[in-house]
Order: sequence, then C-alpha cells, then structure tokens
Amino acid sequence: MRAALSSEWLKLRSLRSTYQALGTAGLTMVLGAAWTLYVSSLADERGSVRAAPPEVGFLPLLQISLAVLGVLAITSEYATGMIRTSVTVVPDRARLLLAKAVIVGLTTLAAAETIQLVTYATSRLIAGGHPLGFNDTSLGDDLPMLLASGLSVAALALVGLGLGTVARSTAGATGAVVALLFVLPGLVTYLPAPWNTRVASLLLPSLVPQIAGDRLSTRLGDGVLPPWAALAVLLAYPVAALVAGFLFLRRRDV
Amino acid sequence: MSVLASEWLKVRSVRSSYLTLGLSLAAILLGYGLAVMAKGMFDSAPPAQQAKARIAELEEVVVMVPQLCLGVLGVLAITSEHATGLIRTSLTVVPRRWPLLAAKTAVVGGLGLVVGPATVFGTYAVARWVLGDRFSGAYSVPFGARWPLLAALSLTVVVFALLGLGLGAILRSTAASIAILVGLVYVIPIVIGNLPEPWSERFGSVMIGALPREIAGDFPTDSVYGSLLPPVPAMVVLAAYAVVPVVTALWLIRRRDA
Amino acid sequence: MVRCAGRGPRRILDAVIELRRLTKRYGGALAVDDLSFTVEPGHVTGFLGPNGAGKSTSMRLVLGLDAPTSGVALVNGRRYASLRRPMREVGALLDAGAVHGGRSAYNHLLCLARTNGIGPLRVAEVLEQVGLSGVARKRVGTFSLGMKQRLGIAAALLGDPGVLMFDEPVNGLDPDGVRWIRDLMRTLAHEGRTVLLSSHLMSEMALTADRIVVIGRGRLIAEATVQELTARYPSLEDAYMALTAGSVQYGASR
Repeated sequence: MRAALSSEWLKLRSLRSTYQALGTAGLTMVLGAAWTLYVSSLADERGSVRAAPPEVGFLPLLQISLAVLGVLAITSEYATGMIRTSVTVVPDRARLLLAKAVIVGLTTLAAAETIQLVTYATSRLIAGGHPLGFNDTSLGDDLPMLLASGLSVAALALVGLGLGTVARSTAGATGAVVALLFVLPGLVTYLPAPWNTRVASLLLPSLVPQIAGDRLSTRLGDGVLPPWAALAVLLAYPVAALVAGFLFLRRRDV
Repeated sequence: MSVLASEWLKVRSVRSSYLTLGLSLAAILLGYGLAVMAKGMFDSAPPAQQAKARIAELEEVVVMVPQLCLGVLGVLAITSEHATGLIRTSLTVVPRRWPLLAAKTAVVGGLGLVVGPATVFGTYAVARWVLGDRFSGAYSVPFGARWPLLAALSLTVVVFALLGLGLGAILRSTAASIAILVGLVYVIPIVIGNLPEPWSERFGSVMIGALPREIAGDFPTDSVYGSLLPPVPAMVVLAAYAVVPVVTALWLIRRRDA
Repeated sequence: MVRCAGRGPRRILDAVIELRRLTKRYGGALAVDDLSFTVEPGHVTGFLGPNGAGKSTSMRLVLGLDAPTSGVALVNGRRYASLRRPMREVGALLDAGAVHGGRSAYNHLLCLARTNGIGPLRVAEVLEQVGLSGVARKRVGTFSLGMKQRLGIAAALLGDPGVLMFDEPVNGLDPDGVRWIRDLMRTLAHEGRTVLLSSHLMSEMALTADRIVVIGRGRLIAEATVQELTARYPSLEDAYMALTAGSVQYGASR
C-alpha cells in the first residue's frame, strides 16, 4: 500500500492541473482579505455593516476547485489512457483506487483547512474592532464551522473521484458534482414546505451548517439533522461515491 | 456549408450529445413531478391556506438542467477535439480555422435554440395542465402574459451553450472550462448575494439568473438577484455573455498553434 | 512472495506466458476464440496476425486489463492480477500513447516505479538504456511517436522482468530505432527472458524472432519456428500470407 500511495502522491504532484486547482482554491485567502478590507471601509462610512464572513462566502470557490482536482485525479488517466498503464503496474484495482482516495482526501483536507484557517485569521486581523457582524464571535465558537467546511471540501473532492471513476469523463463527473453542489439544492428549495427543508437537510451544502448547529438559510430555516447525523451524512457521500466507483472499476475492462 | 454539415455529424455521432440532450428533455419530467407534488399539497390543504398558497414558476427552476447540460455540450464540442487531438485534423481540413468555430457555434447554438424552448415551454404546458387554476391562478393567466418570460428563459439555454463553447475554445481544457462556467453561474451569484447593498443588487442585476425577468419586465417580490436593468439593456447583457467568449475564441483560434 | 523480489536466474527460466482456452467476447463480437498457446523463455516469439485478429486483446487479457469471457491466461503459472509486484515479473508495452502528456518522462516512470518499490536510480538507468536521458525532464506531450515508444519500452524494462510483451514496438521508430529494438529483443531473449513481440513488419520479424505464433479471427492458426516456416515457404512473408489468407477481415482481398 505504501508503494501505491507514494506513486499516487507523485502523480498528483507532477501535474500542472493540481497547482492550478490549488491556486484557484487559494484565491479564497486573497479574496477574503480584500473582502474584509472593503467591508471594513464600508463600516467606517456607515457605522456598522452586517457582512458575510469570507470563509463562508467564498467556500463554494474552494469546494468547486478542489472537487475538480478530485475528478481529474482519475478522469485525466482515462482521457490519456494512463489508466491502462496504472492498472498494469497495480493490478489490484481496490488498492489503486484506495491509494488515490487517500492521497486526494488528505491533500484536499490539508489544503482546505489551511486555506479556511488562514482566511479566517487574516480577515479577523484586518477587521480588528470594526463592527462587521461576523467578527464578534470567538475562535472557539467558529471552529466547528471552520473544520466542518474544510472537511466538506475533502468530502466533495472524494465524491468527485468516485463519480469520475464511474463516469470516466471529466465533463460527466464535473457536471454531476456541480449538480450535487448547486443545481439539486437549487431545485429542492422549490419543493413545497416542509419537504424543501427535509430534503435540503440531506444535501451537501446544508451539512456544514448543520454540523456547526446553524440554520440552513433564511428561506429553509433549521435543518432536521443533529450535528452528529449531519457529520455521518457528510462522510457517507464520499464513501458511497467511492464504493460505486470501485464496483465499476472492478468489473470493467480498462 | 459543408463545414456545417461536418460539425452537425460530429455532434450527432458522439454519445455525450445524446446524454446531455436527453437529460435536458428529461427535465420536463422533473417539472411534471414538482407540479404533481404541488397539486397534492394544494388539494390537501384547508381552503384558508389554499387562498394564500403561492407557487414559484416551475420553468425557472427546471431550466437549470438544460442550462448546465447544454453548457457542458458546448464545452465538449471543442475541448473533446483538443483532448483527442482531433482538432489538428479538423484544422487541417478547414485551414482558415474560423469557419470551423463558426460552424460549431451554429450547431451548438441551434441545439440550444431547440432544446431551450422545448424544455421551458414543455414544462409550462405540463404545469399548466396539472395545476389548472390552483395557486390563485398562477398557471391560468393568459399565455400572452407569460410568453416573454418563457422565451427569455429559453434564450438563456442558448447563451449557456455558446458560453460553454467559447470558454472551451479559449481554455482548451474540459475541466477548466466547466469549472469556470459553473463559477460564473453558481459561485459568483452566491458571493454577490453576500455583498453589502447597493453592490449586491447592482452586480446581481447583470447575473444570467436575473436577466430573463428583467427582459420580460416580470418581477417576483423576493428576487435573489437584482432587478435594475430595463428590458433592452438586459437583452444586450444576455447576448454579451454568449458573444464575448465566442468572438474572443474566434480571434484566438486564428492566432494560436493548434 | 519473497522470491519475486529477487532476480535469480531460476525465476527467468521458469518464466512463461500460457493461454488456456482463452475466449473474449465484446458484446456480440468474438475477439479471442478458444485460444491456447505457450510462450517459452530464451526465445523471441513473434506474434502475428491481420489487424483485428485479437493480438492486442490477447495481450490485454494476459495483463488482466480485460477480463476473459472464459479460459485463463497465466504468467509464471499465476494470474497476472495476483502478482504483488508485477513489474518485477512482467514488462509490457501495449500502447505507447497511454501516458499522461502533462508529466515529464522521468516523473512518469518514477510514478510507475514507486508502485512496485523500484528506486529512482533504476529509472535513470532505463532512461539511459532507451536513449531518453536528454529529454527526461520534458513533458511527454511534446514527444514524437518514436520517443513515446522508447518511453513505453523503458517502462516495460523498469522492473527487470523475466517476461516481456511488446505490441508493435517499432511503430514510429527511425531505422536506428528499428535496429536498436531488434538487438534489444535478441539480447533480452539471450539473457533467458521470455519475449512476446507483435509486429506487421515481416522482414523485421524474420530477423528478430525465433518462434512464431500466428492467429486469425481470434483463433490459433500456426505455432512454429521461423526455420520451419522458411523451409516450407519462400519467406516468412509468404508463410504469413498463405496462413492468414482465410482470416483477413478488414484487409483488401488479394
């Protein structure tokens, strides 16, 4: 397993697209600082503002860029034919996929948590004592949200990896991830109440606020899941996607 | 003309086209499901609640599916050629290059022009048939009052298809193009929604999601976007979403090595 | 297991490829039809047949890339997929294009090497052996077909395996390269390794191979030494034409 892991780690490190995805995700830190500077100056003008915290507002950027990283970890192999070489040198396909999942999971988790914490820290430093609406809580209060949002990014990247293995196509898997992350939650909002809230509670974007014990949105109100259940659902997404991916990878000719 | 025929054949002969087009049309079923569900809720509610009950325009929800699908189709129409190396063959047989992209634009835009209205008007017809005069007659207003919004929604599907094609031709990478398409359509509106006023409404008014209602001059009370643009400028902005990337791509394709 | 890691001569003498009643059906099409033959060590075995005869499919079945509909393919008496460190036992070049174009040649080989616990020194060694040392840090996407063939051969040699399979390795090579392949194949066989080589270049095959396996429409047509064939026919090419006359599916009738 260590051999497969070190190979997958090198595979990820030796591609430009990895750095592009990480760079895009890292933009969150820059945008977060710019955002805080802007709302702070606005607060000077108006006395006080109620602004969204940057680590929450820019989370979708982080999610989508690292989900693409997860998708590409496998679909780029299918696109180039590299998958045939990979399966030849690691004929145990479970080991191959597991090694990819561990590397993609750990890399995106480390990147996402770092980016979230740096965005959080710089924005609170820049905000200082300005009344911005998001900087009056302590790190202790915000930590569950920060950790859960980083975890959600890694989970999404693994969902991307699993769906990429099923679909074998960058476009298909990216489209499916986007549908899960943006389109489906958009559609569900339109379900008649109380079904909109019930179904939305199970969808990826709602899990982070539920883990942190916050409401989903003004429109949907409180979610139906307690924090531990939301965490379990968040972990179930990548597990389900990866199991599906493995079942296809095991049975198919490559 | 022969370039056009060749591009039409290229689209027709790959499975991903049927998948995206099929999913787009399947969205009508989704609209049907939502309508049936709303009907059930309405009929089981007491009269006092029925009088107050409102329903969102289902076409506006359902149109997200063909938007994403045709966007992906547009991206793939060009990036799949780069991924497989077919682009070198294509540019060898069409050495002036721009007619190739122009033909792709026509084919992809034409598909959007068929699929967009089919999905939007199809969903409208189905919802109207299921819901009758429930929800205070939301679906029994005369068609004449509704078609501008429906037509504008249909056009957004064309815009997505061309935006996808343009991005694909500029970036030459499936993953990057879809990510940026998604960023433009889903991520940026979320960020803009978080901006303080007046910027939230100003930027929100030029988002693709806001434009159909601005073009039709038909606003709900709780728009998540802005509603500052009059119909004609809104139409221009919507067109710009398609024209700017495609023209940029046309300009680039003549200058770059394949 | 431990023995696999060693490089004793005994392993090389054992080395054989064995197909037993191998059948592969893709949908309705029969690609390989009840095919049985053995490839023995110490020779270069030429694998011949018209386009679509099932040569590549047979090789894919041996490598476990595709699952046989029935029958078995064994390497050193075992199924390929059960090998823990397959690169140390079998090296294969099936499709020189099955490489991620965004990686450098060195990184590509190192990715493969790591999966089987092979060190970077060996990577440098095979790069030198195939003459790609000068372009080791260049992206594979910029390589010509001939260079990609050399890279694929380098990958096959990485684990210093006792069994080697090459599908059309001379495609795209310059005359120097063709001669280099010929010498390489003969050297590998002379060292006691098992070498299976497919090619459409009959004159080249006559110079390189000792034994010949001919298949057509997925079935075995002939298994003989080059000497036997050239004794019965004017040349290897004439032998091939006569043997496959009834099996050409796509070629022009002659």
